[in-house]
Amino acid sequence: MPPPSLPQRPSLDALLRSAVGPLERPVRFIGEVLLSAAAASGGRWSFRREDLGRVLADCSARAVTIVLVVNLLVGAILAFVGAVQLAKFGAGIFVADLVGIAVAREMAAIITAVVIAGRTGAAFAAEIATMQANEEVDALEVLGLGAVDFLVLPRVASLLLMMPLLYIFACLAGLVGGMLVAAAMLDISAIAYLQRTAEALTWTHLGLGIGKSLTFGALVGMVGCYYGLNAKRNAAGVGVATTGAVVTSIVGIIVLDAIFALCANALDI
Amino acid sequence: MSLLAVNQLVMQFGDRLIQKDVSLKVEKGCIFAVMGGSGCGKSTLLKHLVGLLPPAAGTVTYDGVDFWASDDAERSRLRSGFGMLFQSAALWSSMTVLENICLPLSRQTRLDGKQREAKAREVLEWVELGEFADFYPSSLSGGMKKRAGLARAIAAEPPLLFLDEPSAGLDPISSRRLDDLILDIRHRTGAAVVFVSHELPSLFAIADDGIFLDADSKQPIAHGCPRELARQDVHPTVHAFLHREVPPPAAAPATAKATS
Repeated sequence: MPPPSLPQRPSLDALLRSAVGPLERPVRFIGEVLLSAAAASGGRWSFRREDLGRVLADCSARAVTIVLVVNLLVGAILAFVGAVQLAKFGAGIFVADLVGIAVAREMAAIITAVVIAGRTGAAFAAEIATMQANEEVDALEVLGLGAVDFLVLPRVASLLLMMPLLYIFACLAGLVGGMLVAAAMLDISAIAYLQRTAEALTWTHLGLGIGKSLTFGALVGMVGCYYGLNAKRNAAGVGVATTGAVVTSIVGIIVLDAIFALCANALDI
Repeated sequence: MSLLAVNQLVMQFGDRLIQKDVSLKVEKGCIFAVMGGSGCGKSTLLKHLVGLLPPAAGTVTYDGVDFWASDDAERSRLRSGFGMLFQSAALWSSMTVLENICLPLSRQTRLDGKQREAKAREVLEWVELGEFADFYPSSLSGGMKKRAGLARAIAAEPPLLFLDEPSAGLDPISSRRLDDLILDIRHRTGAAVVFVSHELPSLFAIADDGIFLDADSKQPIAHGCPRELARQDVHPTVHAFLHREVPPPAAAPATAKATS
């Protein structure tokens, strides 16, 4: 009688594959985008300038109003919360420090990225998913035009170019929002508020914010395009891709911001 | 040497076999029909031929060059030798009709901007869409989209055209006009055409040769000109298809070869 066979253990290779498998496609996508960006920076881009211009306009001029409004309100809310607490200690003027640093280091970059994820990232996912469903991406591939070169690169490049500019507008809006609340609640003059803000803010704060805005821009652009390209080829697929892009972008923004906070703390900046 | 040769192709999605033993040859100037019922793998075969989907096994060769064994640069060169009309026309929705035609010209020819535009307008006149050059695809009817898609496929005058159900969803008159246009393209440019269809009038009107893919046995069950196949004693499924009849419940497997 043959001995009873032992249950087979999964091999290390199988375990690694099952662990890394879900990451294979996104990692390959990031690699393709980086290679495409390297080729484009050497002058070998294949996207149309008209498409780049259209996407640039969409994530700059057409996005700036909502970015200004939301950040103005965030600055005002920060100032309101700060004013109530700081006034108890007679330190109302320090609301300018609070709003200035919080807006420049954190809120302007995060809020702008979340707004852009909700409008531009979702639009990227929906547009590319619809192209996928209509075989437009296949038509590009047959022509030898890779979807990453033709569709993804101009979108990611547009967000990389425009996010720092939107961040600066967002900072200004947040500071104005804080200043309005400080003037209304604590009777602090605009000049005193701005003077205090200028003393509190350093180039490090702004540099950190710009670094975050660049990172978040790349994330939102790539996530939107990734979900669009991997959408199922039907109407439901477009909806799923759009939702997935927005949710993943927002979670990614928060995770990346936490990593930035850890790094900034470790580097004492 | 054949313009296009497919040898022992196996089409498979994961473990699900779609078709096996698919072999065919397309010569210069030939209009070749890929026939079969819905869901038998006609459009999937076309995807294997144009490089959108690698086959599970078998070869696809253009002028003797194995497409799937080639590197990216060689595949890109081979792709510049064919044009494709998709089932949905697949016009790029963010571009005008004219831009849709200029883009392949910029990839497949060395024409400058003005020459590309002139060529695109000439091709649009050919497919009777001259006055719609600056329209966006969303403003066109189904038949117009198909003709615009055909214009895009033929603009660079490739020696081989792939057409995925060109007359599907069109009224009989538009369908007939498209058939005439395909014959005219072959006459003027000498291009070979591989087209997927289950529209009998189109198959009988324009095809010189063809292959019939069977969804039940998952392999080709007839080769030849549809007009000839319709007159011959062929597999009952092919006979039923070509005569628009309900097939017998259990058709015996047999492969027919028609002489065209």
